[in-house]
Amino acid sequence: MIPSDQFVRFYNEVFKFLDAKGGGALEAYYRTVSEQQERHCLALFKAEGLAGMKAYWDRIAVEENCDMTCTLHADRLEIVMRRCPSLGKAMDNDAGAFERYCDHCPGWILPLLAKAGCRCDYDIIDRTLPQCRLTICPNDPQRASRIRVSGL
Amino acid sequence: MLRYRETGELHKDFHGSMNAAVEYVGSRYGRDGLREVFRNTAQKVYRSIYENLKAGDWSELLEHWDYFMTREGADFAIEVTDGEAVMTVRRCPAVEHLRKLGMTPSECFCDQTVLLNEAWCEGTPFEAVTEITGEGRCVQKIRKRSTLNIQRSTLNAQGCGT
Repeated sequence: MIPSDQFVRFYNEVFKFLDAKGGGALEAYYRTVSEQQERHCLALFKAEGLAGMKAYWDRIAVEENCDMTCTLHADRLEIVMRRCPSLGKAMDNDAGAFERYCDHCPGWILPLLAKAGCRCDYDIIDRTLPQCRLTICPNDPQRASRIRVSGL
Repeated sequence: MLRYRETGELHKDFHGSMNAAVEYVGSRYGRDGLREVFRNTAQKVYRSIYENLKAGDWSELLEHWDYFMTREGADFAIEVTDGEAVMTVRRCPAVEHLRKLGMTPSECFCDQTVLLNEAWCEGTPFEAVTEITGEGRCVQKIRKRSTLNIQRSTLNAQGCGT
């Protein structure tokens, strides 16, 4: 058994394996992960909207030992990850972190949020730092979700 | 001394993510694909366990087993003799959590144990014999050997991606 504590280091090896296969294999995997995550999140997100998302990520913050703040505003949910244990473990790893390790998060989150009627501004900030910021809002036909690496 | 020794809360839903990951890789790339990923995990991620095994020292592997099976709340026992270390798992916390999530274990699920043990012993003075004895139950043996030979594993059900 791979301990749940160490799943992300295995995940990191799956990303490397699929990326080496090419042909969009890794991105196809993100979409499959997103569909699987629907089981845990989608009903809650649809029923309770931004408040349901806050409840989900507040639980994740505790279980995954994150240093993370989720702030619910009337029109948006802001998530600030100051210490991401997932990337932290992928980097604290004798096999080395997959260079685009962070991409799996928006890879599953954005399609799921779209199904829940929301969009997301996902700032990875820097792929070598275990930090990121998300702003989630109800869908707006004038603005699409975006992923960026602001470096700030 | 363990290279990785997490503390704090557990996010056991990662066992569900593991189930999905092995199913994804196994169904598309077969057991060879899984073997490649688990070989990299066993020999590169757990490099220190692997290097110790190559040097004939199983102590870090046994510490890893004991620490994480205890941390996850498994019902298990480890017995060590001169020539063999045997971990008997009577209730696997990963399978238990899958059931709690309402998930069915993939045919590939126990490959995380079978193929990891196999890869840990590759090119070492040990061989791995992993027997799945029922859902959430297995017997994992690491045996000292005098010459290198093929790893053995047995599964009650059909293997994954074969």
